[in-house]
Parts: sequence; structure tokens; C-alpha cells
Amino acid sequence: MAQQPTPAPTPVIPTVKMKAKAGFEGKPVDMDINPAEGDLKPWDLDTKFDVMKGRYPRIEGPLKVTGRAKYTYDIKLPGMLWGRMVGARVPHAEVVKIDTSKAEKLPGVKAVWATESRTVRFAGQDVAAVAATTPEIAMDAARLIEVTYNEKPFITDLEKAMEAGAPPVYSPEQVPGNAQIPRNGNILGPQTGRGLKRGDVAAGLSEADVSIEGTYRVSVHTHSSLETHGVIAQWEGDELTIYASTQGVFTVKEGVAEALGIPRTKVRVITEHMGGGFGSKLAPSASGSQFAIVACRLAKSAGAPVKLMLDRKQEHLCTGNAPSALITVNIGAKKDGTFTAIHHRSFGSAGIAPGAGTAAPLSNLYQTTPNILGEDHSVFTNAGPAAPLRAPGHPQGAFALESAIDELADKMHMDPLDLRKKNDPSPVRQMQYDIGARAIGWERRGKKAGEAKGPKKRGIGMANGEWSVNARGSEVGCEIRIHRDGSVECFSGAQDIGSGFRTAMAVVTAEELGLQPKDITMHVGDTRWPFGPGSGGSNTTNSVAPAVRMAAHDAKMKLFAAAAPALGAKPEELEAHGGKVFVAAKPGKSLTFKQAAAKIAGEQVTATAERKKQYEMFRTELAGTQFCEVEVDTETGEVRIVKMVAVNDCGIPVNSLTTESQVIGAMIQGASWALFENRTLDRSYGTMVNPNMEWYKILMPSDMFEAVSILTPVANLGNNTSTAGIGEPCSVPCLAAIANAIFNATGARVRSLPITPDRMLAALAEARRRA
Amino acid sequence: MAESDKPASRFSRRSFIKTAGAGAAIAGVSAEAQEKKPELLGPDASTITLSVNGAPRQVTVEPRVTLLRALRNELEITGAKEVCDRGGCGACTVLMDGRIVNACMIMAWDAVGHEIITVESFGTPERLSPVQAAFVECDGYQCGFCTPGMVVSSTALLKKNPNPSLDEIKAGLAGNLCRCGTYGRIFEAVAKASKTMAANKPAPGKPAAKKGE
Repeated sequence: MAQQPTPAPTPVIPTVKMKAKAGFEGKPVDMDINPAEGDLKPWDLDTKFDVMKGRYPRIEGPLKVTGRAKYTYDIKLPGMLWGRMVGARVPHAEVVKIDTSKAEKLPGVKAVWATESRTVRFAGQDVAAVAATTPEIAMDAARLIEVTYNEKPFITDLEKAMEAGAPPVYSPEQVPGNAQIPRNGNILGPQTGRGLKRGDVAAGLSEADVSIEGTYRVSVHTHSSLETHGVIAQWEGDELTIYASTQGVFTVKEGVAEALGIPRTKVRVITEHMGGGFGSKLAPSASGSQFAIVACRLAKSAGAPVKLMLDRKQEHLCTGNAPSALITVNIGAKKDGTFTAIHHRSFGSAGIAPGAGTAAPLSNLYQTTPNILGEDHSVFTNAGPAAPLRAPGHPQGAFALESAIDELADKMHMDPLDLRKKNDPSPVRQMQYDIGARAIGWERRGKKAGEAKGPKKRGIGMANGEWSVNARGSEVGCEIRIHRDGSVECFSGAQDIGSGFRTAMAVVTAEELGLQPKDITMHVGDTRWPFGPGSGGSNTTNSVAPAVRMAAHDAKMKLFAAAAPALGAKPEELEAHGGKVFVAAKPGKSLTFKQAAAKIAGEQVTATAERKKQYEMFRTELAGTQFCEVEVDTETGEVRIVKMVAVNDCGIPVNSLTTESQVIGAMIQGASWALFENRTLDRSYGTMVNPNMEWYKILMPSDMFEAVSILTPVANLGNNTSTAGIGEPCSVPCLAAIANAIFNATGARVRSLPITPDRMLAALAEARRRA
Repeated sequence: MAESDKPASRFSRRSFIKTAGAGAAIAGVSAEAQEKKPELLGPDASTITLSVNGAPRQVTVEPRVTLLRALRNELEITGAKEVCDRGGCGACTVLMDGRIVNACMIMAWDAVGHEIITVESFGTPERLSPVQAAFVECDGYQCGFCTPGMVVSSTALLKKNPNPSLDEIKAGLAGNLCRCGTYGRIFEAVAKASKTMAANKPAPGKPAAKKGE
């Protein structure tokens, strides 16, 4: 568990008062805001954009489609060795002995590492590593490492781990409970997170005219990033360069420097292109491995660069997953559908880690419900620790909550969309409901579940999602250089994890400078550039974009100072739009951007700026809703998704093309989880049965459906660009939207994911029994 | 899978194990292969010549090295990626004698004498092929790790079927996995490339691209 840094005292930041136009088209809201001194007036609902919100192909696209983009996995340095981790083959044991002598004697082996940890808690945990001159020798050497274990009883099943007398994953001393979070056997909890307790849920349920209780189960989903976790570690003297497949170059830098006891100034981390992370690549190494630090040690001891990429099996075992969940939801409502209470009680396993909570969606959704209670429990099992996965806990929690609401609507003979409208105070989602309903054709939806004739039945369902705006503060920076030839460079240390961050920051720079995104040369993913956050919590765009705009603005003012004499005006009288620098009052008096840049006295103007603090927002919640149409073959139990529609708020979108792509990706990942994905652990051996890509089934082209993303721009303020993230909010509703569509099609409720044909058939049989 | 005009097993790891093992005459090996006495392979590395993107390339590899690892680790042709290492995801797709194959399922030594074409030969960042240009324009990727395999499969599909329907595109890419979830965009890109290629085709007497309509 990571060491918690002592929180620094919050500094008092001087602010200024401003007014801005928040909200969305048709519903503008005048807002008083208090940005930090020196911040720019935010882009808001009145801003006329030149390039923001447009559709821009990725800058690095030509490299990616031609195979020229060099990922960490593709880099080969002169004299480089090949590293390989060795994982424990047993799920729970004391390590008696690690004999590396045979591996060390193998010709070609240059370095060997063995763990000092004496306890193994999951199959796949780091025990040793090797570095050799070829990958084949490294593989042979890994096999020659002999580990003697004193095996202990283990538990891999969530519900069995909850039983009294289940083998304990940790002793009470290792993970003690406390007054806030009690511990009972392998169960840690209940824990009630922020915003998850309001009123008296028992009283609220007793006041209800109608109530419902549902219990739902969600399988473990592994991130399965196509580029596995890995690094290349290269020492030059005491300077360490790490090429990393990471979502946080600065996290790797900090983590490695700390582990090796070297100054951060000696470590440089580079991520030029990254082959997927989805939350699993936020740690210095991974949630269940120290491979990056091991690679640095191997490189040091061998005196040569070491490339250490995990293999597919290791990727499944020790780099994180989305926790399982067993959730019971109780909802009470008045006759008219008004919710009186929602109780969300959740048990889940994040393997050997805590953090399996799922109740969080309740903190944002249906906020007018007078009585709510979210109670989360983490259950330890002997399995690899979870890692954040696109909105951690939220898809699982929303699956339960939004399925239960659907069940309640059915019981009350109400349209489930009307039931949600009745209980949803979000003006944004109220606007989104009708847009989504139109796009899916909600009016085609059968009023009575399963009423369609024939063996193949179609149905339509929907579910809600939410996310809270996360943003980093003033430590985030950016540097902009305008060269004398008119070319522009933007430097941000933050990495592009496939979200389109690189292109988005070019859009922000271009907007401020009156240029086009293609005019900007981007430099990202390098700890030599100004600090940027790890890409988690959907915070990259709205953390970095305000710093980029600020730096671009400052560089622009320097350019104006150089160009003003030629235009016979003062610098503050100039503006830049459409590739021109001109006098605002007399647009005819202008220079092209290139001509203006030629007036720079030296080689370039440079501006480095930091993000100002986050301030008042129109909504702290990012709203979203999804609609789904499915076809169920009631004879085979096969579910085919026909269409999904996602309607999302992500503030003011920067690049609509790539933003939509992220939303479409979330629907497809969600569909994959809902129908196919299931990490399966062997009960007798505690090892993963399907650590590959054919038995760990992921949605493939032939399973594809029509996926539609509709963005509803909202001037959300909070920062000078009104941007927000999108990676996570769109991941939340998918599971429930699919299950609810299946119910509408068939009248059968599947409460366990994935919805495999056998489960579908069992639910159909159950529905027939009840009828 | 889709390409079954030749027995795929001839180039599989399994057939390697068979031919490399002690027993020489084994069921499944063609008469032609039985005539030539199978040479004893390995275990040490030997130098072989592969034909890659039209040029002879020498690599010194052990017999257990796959074509994919020879391309990547020896020749530093890194467009094709190793993702599943079991022929399950298509990230390593290359053309062998014009057929799409998973380079992770072919031993480097078994690729001798065959024409290997990788994504690198289709276009350059400055001069993209129509398929590549369509992927960029339609945003047919996010992280881009599956993209080289997708581009190879899409290009092969359009060569065989210049005007595919949506279902034919899905079938043509059935072996390629994208984890970011960009399939919809990829299908759009293939359809777009098909249109571009039809428009670019010189029309000798006949109007171009009517096949399959």
C-alpha cells in the first residue's frame, strides 16, 4: 500500500471576481466566479471558437497507421538485454528458498534478481527476474529459477472468502480494522464514502408505497491492454532513463527514484506512444508487481540497458483488474414514483487489495432522494490486486442501481425513463434524456417486456452514468515557444495514452494563438517537460488545457509586444485569429502570424505557465445516459447488441472526433464486460484458468453493433477552458443499459455478469416459471 | 481462418515441432516435404534468409523463434506487434505470399522461401496508402497498438473484395482485436478506403468498382 504523503497546509490564493456564462444551449446561466489572480477569463457559452469543438485527426496518426510509431515495446537500444519476471506459481505460501544458481550459470544471463519478500499472496506475484542477451535465453533462465514454497490454505472465491472460517488472506495484525472501517475475517467494512449517507434509509423504506430488492453479481474484468506493462531502463553513469508504457511518466519517476534512493533529477521517463492502460498503468510499475524497479536494478547490475515487458499471462495476473461485486440494492418509492430511499450494500473483491467499493454512483445520481445509504465492503481473496479501471467501482455499482430502478419501474408499470426523469435533479441529464430517446427510437420500445413474437426478441433499455470533475491544481505546467519563422511548439510532460491528448493540446494552443492545430508541434510524455498529471480520474485534459492556454496566452503577449510597433498599436490592442495578428479596433491593420513572428528580436519567445486553481463550476457532476437495443435468441440464449447510444457532457469538448471515439470505446468495452469477460480462477489451484486472449473472451469485430456518441457541450467553468474529462463517465452506464434492454426484450432479468448464453437461458426459464 | 486455400498448419508451431522432432515422416507433412529429408533444426541459432518487403534479409535465430520475433527483435521491423502470442488477436498480422497470417504462429525458419510483406511497405507517413489515410481521417484507432494488424487485414480484404458490405468488413477483420473499442470507426475507414480506391482506379473502358454491387 502506497505511503501517504503528509498533506501540505492549503495556501491562501488571492482571487478576483468575474462573471461568466455557464450552462448549455437554451439554458444559459450567469455565474459569479472567483478565479485566481492572473487567470484568464474562461471560455464560456458566449465564446466564439475558431478551432475548439472541431474534428481533428490525430497528429501522430500517420506514424501509427504505417507501423512507424515506436512504443516502449518497439524500442531496442544498443547492447540491450532482455528481462523477464518470474511469478509465483502458488496462490498463498511462505517462500522458503529461491535458488537462482542454475539460472546464473546459463551462458548469456547477465543479471538475476530475487525478491526479499517472504510471503506470496497470489499466483503470479513477483518472486524473481533475469536479464539475458536474448529473449529466448531469458525465458530459459526464468525456468531454471527454483523456488521452494511452504504452501498455505488459500481462498479465491468472493462468497466463500466471506464465510466464517475462510482461510485468512491477511492476519489481523497485517491489516487491522479500525473504528471507521471494521474488519471481520476477510471482510473490510462497511465503509460509507463521501456523499453516501443522507437521512434515514430504514425510515425512508418504511414510508414507501412500493419497494424493490435486487442482488447483482459482476465478474472480474482485466484491463487487457494490448501493449503489456513494461519498461526499458538505461543507466548512463548515475543518470537513469526509463522508457515506460505508463499513464503517468511523473509517477514512474517519483516511484523509481524513491525505491532506488536516488534524486529525482537523475531520472528521466519517456512515453512517446502507449498501447492502452485504462487505469492499470497509473502505478510506478503495476498494482501487483515491481517490475519497473526490478528492471532498473537488473540494468544497474548488468551494466547494460534492460528491456522488461510482461507477457500476456503476467499482464492478466499482476497488473490489476476491476473488482468483482456482489451488490444488494433496496429502493422505496411513493405511488407517483418519487424515491423515498435507496440502500446500496456492496461486497467485492479487489484480490489482496482493498478498494472494491461500488456505491459511489449513488452520490451523484438521484440527489433529491431524501434517504440514501451506501455501504461498501472489500473482501480479501488470494488473487492479484485490482487497479483503477475506467471509473473504478462505478460500472459495477451502476449495474446494480440502474438494474434495480428498472425492476422498480416494471413493478410499478411505469416507463423506466419517466421514473428516472421524475427523480433526477440534473438539468444536463434532463436535456440528454430526450436526445438519447430520439436517437434509439424509445417510442419503438415494447410496453410489456418480452411481448415480441418469435424466438428472436428485440428490446430497448437505458441506464444512467455520472462522474465527478477531477482536476489538478497549480503544479501542472506548460511551455510554449513561438519561433521567428512562425512555427510553434507546445511542451507538456503528460502522456498521450490513446485518448488524443497530444492533438487536444494542439487544439487549445491553436485556439489561443489564432492558428490551426496542424500548425503546432507537440512534445508530450517526457518528464523533462513541465509537469502533467497521471492520466487517471479523467483529469488530464482539464488539468493541462488551462496551463496550455495560459502559456499560449503569455507567449502571444510576447509576440504582440514584438509585432505592435509594426502595426502602429499597443500590444494590448492586438488580437490573433485566423492566422493573423491584427489591431482589434481596425482588423484591416494586420500581419500574418509568420510576419508577426519575424519581428521577434531573438530566435524565439518562450512562455512557461502554471495552471491556476480550480474554481466554481456550473455542475461538479458530469452527466451521461445510455440507451441500448438488443436482440436475444431465446432458443440459444445468445445476446446480440444491435445499437447503443451514449449522450455525454464533458464540458466544452476540445476535439469532438477523438472525444466521441473515447465514448464509443467505453460502450464497446462495457458491452464486452457485460457479455463476455470473466477472469476465472481455479478453485483447487488458485491460478488463472484463462490468462490469454482466446479463453478470456473480449468483444471482436463480428460481435459489433452500431455505437453512437452524442456530446452535449456544457460551459462548465471551473478552469479557463471549461473543459472536463470523458474517459470515465461514459464507462459507467453500459452494463445496466444492456441488462435492461435484455429484460425489455425477454421479460427475463439477468442479475449476474457476464450474460452468457447459459445464464440467459436460465433467466428465461425462471421468467417462464414465474409467468 | 478465412484464408484456407493452403493448409495453414504447414506453417504452424505444431508442424515445426513435428518436423523438428526426431521422427521425420509424420502424417500431415506433404509428399513434397517428405521427399526432401527434413533437416535437423537447432537447438542453436543458424543464419537464414527471409524475404521481407521485397528484400532478402538475413537473421540468425534459434528454430524456436517465431517469424514475428525475428522481424521485431532481429530486423527491427516493429509494426507488427506481439499481443497474445497465440494467434488470437491479429496484432501481428503480416502477408505471407499474399495471404494474411499471424506472424506469432509461424516459425521464422518456416518462413524461408516465402514473401513476407509487413505494414511498413504499404505507405509512409508522408505518403499514406488509401487504407492508412482513411484510418487517420476516420480516427480508426486510439492507442494504435492494434492498428498495423488492422491495416494489413483491411488492405488484404479490399484487395480480395474491393467493395465489401459491412458484414463482409466485419468478417474480414474477424481475427483482429482492438481493446480501445474503435471497431465502428475502423469499419468506417475500410468503407471509406474502398470508395477512395474505386475513385482512383483508372477506368479502361468500363466504369470502375462495380463488382459486388
